[in-house]
Amino acid sequence: MTGSILSTSGLVAGYEPDLPIVHGIDFSVASGELVVLLGPNGAGKSTFVKAIAGLVPIHAGTMLLNGRDITHVAPHRKVAEGLAFVPQTENVFATMTILENLQIAVAHLAKAKRAAAIEALFARFPDLAARPSRLAGALSGGQRQMLAVARALALDPPVIILDEPSAGLSPKIVSEVFEMLKAINASGVTVLLVEQNVKAALAIASRAVILAEGRIAHEGLPQDLASDPLVGKIYLGTAHDHQKAPA
Amino acid sequence: MTLDILAYAAFFLSMALTYAIICLGLNVQWGMTGLFNVGIAAFVAVGAYTSALLTTPPSPDRFGGFDLPIFVGWLGAAITSGLLSWAVGALTIRLRSDYLAIATFGIAVTVQLCMLNLQPITGGAFGIGFIPRPFAGLQENALLFSLANFGVMALVVLALYLGLEHLAKSPWGRVLRAIREDEMAAQALGKRPIRFRLQAFSLGGAIMGLAGAAQAHFIGFIAPDNYMPILTFQVWAMLIVGGSGNNRGAIAGAVLVWGLWALSAAAVSSFVPAEQQARAASLQIVAIGVGLCLMLLWRPRGLFGEVSPLTRLKSLRRAPSKE
Amino acid sequence: MNPQFIMDGLIAGAIIGLGAVGVTLTYSILRFSNFAHGELLSWGAYLALAVAGALGTLSAGLTKPIAPFSFGWALPLAAVIAIGLTGLLALAVDALLFSSFRRRGSAIIIMVMASFGASLALRSLLEFLFTSRPAYFTKALQIAMKLGGGLRATPDQLLMLGVTLVSVVTVHLLMTRTDIGRAMRAVSENPALASIAGIDVRRVIRTTWFLGAALACVAGIMSGLLIQIRPYIGHDLLLPLFAAAILGGIGSVPGAMLAGLIIGLCEALAVQAVGAEWRAAVSFVILIAVLLVRPRGLFGKAS
Ligand SMILES: Nc1ncnc2c1ncn2[C@@H]1O[C@H](COP(=O)(O)OP(=O)(O)OP(=O)(O)O)[C@@H](O)[C@H]1O
Ligand SMILES: [Mg+2]
Repeated sequence: MTGSILSTSGLVAGYEPDLPIVHGIDFSVASGELVVLLGPNGAGKSTFVKAIAGLVPIHAGTMLLNGRDITHVAPHRKVAEGLAFVPQTENVFATMTILENLQIAVAHLAKAKRAAAIEALFARFPDLAARPSRLAGALSGGQRQMLAVARALALDPPVIILDEPSAGLSPKIVSEVFEMLKAINASGVTVLLVEQNVKAALAIASRAVILAEGRIAHEGLPQDLASDPLVGKIYLGTAHDHQKAPA
Repeated sequence: MTLDILAYAAFFLSMALTYAIICLGLNVQWGMTGLFNVGIAAFVAVGAYTSALLTTPPSPDRFGGFDLPIFVGWLGAAITSGLLSWAVGALTIRLRSDYLAIATFGIAVTVQLCMLNLQPITGGAFGIGFIPRPFAGLQENALLFSLANFGVMALVVLALYLGLEHLAKSPWGRVLRAIREDEMAAQALGKRPIRFRLQAFSLGGAIMGLAGAAQAHFIGFIAPDNYMPILTFQVWAMLIVGGSGNNRGAIAGAVLVWGLWALSAAAVSSFVPAEQQARAASLQIVAIGVGLCLMLLWRPRGLFGEVSPLTRLKSLRRAPSKE
Repeated sequence: MNPQFIMDGLIAGAIIGLGAVGVTLTYSILRFSNFAHGELLSWGAYLALAVAGALGTLSAGLTKPIAPFSFGWALPLAAVIAIGLTGLLALAVDALLFSSFRRRGSAIIIMVMASFGASLALRSLLEFLFTSRPAYFTKALQIAMKLGGGLRATPDQLLMLGVTLVSVVTVHLLMTRTDIGRAMRAVSENPALASIAGIDVRRVIRTTWFLGAALACVAGIMSGLLIQIRPYIGHDLLLPLFAAAILGGIGSVPGAMLAGLIIGLCEALAVQAVGAEWRAAVSFVILIAVLLVRPRGLFGKAS
């Protein structure tokens, strides 16, 4: 494993100027890792990753991508620097077709390379290839999630952050999503994954971080976390319940 | 000489106070409720024409002239403008916030057309004259007449001020504030935001109608030219300068802006050669427009304002980009 | 009834439609109704007038009418320059005014209000610079040609219809087939998602202003050529523009154009049926009807 590709130090962020949600997080992901970010609802996981992507104002602290300071870089510049982000909700352009969603994603490529890039994505996500002129808003939850991930992968990012990609999907699709994430990671992409689906996430993760009340509460290897009764009870209890509760 | 000055001061202040009434009405709509009205001139005009029709002596060449007492005219003015506001609000308040702005802009255009073209009712471009003036019996004595009229205006403004302050503290006003601060929460408490907004918009419109009537009777004649879009702009400038959400600010802003307006108009007419006066007048309007923008940029709370709808409205809906 | 109202309505509708396309674009991407949009039409017309005048003094040949039209080469040349200048004007207003509100995350209604102040200042500045006396692009008179079916139109008018058609088709293709068009639609749907999809939102906003202003300039010049140039042309067209943008459905380019034509035709019909003095009320009636029956308009998305 090589050095850190994405890191934050003392990151304070929140939606309103005097209301920080994330309180000084020191965090780092090494190149090639698949880090899973866990924590109860409202812990600030989404806020943290949105802050990294540039969608939530940063009050203090810094963040580095590939050794470059990207703390106050505009979101679209971060994308150009190699950081892709799949938000938890509203992660596709619902009023546009599948093809248009992907066309937007490959717009950074030279014109000549775009068709091939889209072909490659369709090959990877055959579900999407079936009817590329469908409106993204008309897709099922799972198909939408596929499209969102495809859109992010089209950016050909060294690092991809996904916020609960399995939320609201049927168990079968969930396992497909996790398989896909594993494959993406295996292809050399560094993955930061926010999840409520603790068991499945820990199964593919190389490291796990638990966030609670806007702070890092625990960090460790997946197997240690899974077997640590205290951690499981305090921080992941809600998550387990959440998983068992009928949808 | 001093008496003349005193009479003029009373005249000037009375005029400013009629604007203060409009401004208080706008404050109910914008300051208290956050509803944007671009058709102020229309609501003022409807009030003025209603009262004029009700109180003027019968006239052979147009509808009405019902020769009713002045206070009936004022009441009628408030009711008609209130109803018009209610109709516009009922149609648009449930929609996007700027649809109301567009609809009120449309009302202003349409009322202007009606004033000009419904000649049998409105007297067309010449308007309506011989509107009875309060204390007409005192007209011999300019000073007494001016002071009496000023007294009436001051009383109306005071009564409205006290009433609106009371209203703001009443349960109704508190619900309105709650809705403005957190629409979702208010809704969850079973308050129907649309209904309260609509009530506030109608009340504001009624006050503007009343102001129109007061102004009409103070001047004695009305014509479509008095109700051009510039009136709307002036009143907005007054409220923004005074600080929206603040009734005292609304009154102070009205007097201040009216004073500046009258002064600069006087300066234009005495220092600028006649053939350039129209141009100078347009510069004066440029100044209002730029001033409005600068206030929004630099002093969104107004010169005297304590609370600003800017911060309150912030959470309602945000602009698209952060830069 | 004289069928000529169809031709009159189409031409007025073309002008309204072009303006409304600009309104609908700025509305859907900047998310507020810009009361200063009408002023872009007026400024466009006056800028073209000023540039054409300057070109005319440089070379008298440029003012010689190009048969069969009523104007010389100075006008089309000036139009191109004026389009650029009007675009710059819109960008300048955005940089000085609206961008600050966006940065602060101000409420929509504050931007609406600022646009209201800007419209007042821009319009009165025109009155100051050019006075309120009407001005004309050309003094030449044109004879209307018979088109059959009882319709007549001057060559200028036919040219306007052609220019409108070309402009709207171009904008439509731009929106549906190009990167910048897709980026504009993406920002209009979800600016945050657009930014993390790699779209430079500020660039999209600048493009939108420029495009809206360019169309406004064309509409302003057409309106000036059709009747006359006054500082109030934009202000008088503002209600029809808003009505058309809402009738067409906010964000829909073809919708705005079609709605513009509908409003133009209704106005022309009303002029024949009720009288020219009520023309301005037509858009209001249509606006109210749309808000009552179908607030999202013909092609708008349900919100
Ligand atoms: N757009 C927003 N504006 C203001 N506050 C917000 C916003 N989104 C979230 N919050 C607040 O930030 C806090 C953290 O929310 P966040 O979405 O980051 O939690 P999370 O860990 O992702 O939870 P979940 O597992 O439910 O997705 C919550 O208290 C929430 O109320
Ligand atoms: Mg979340």
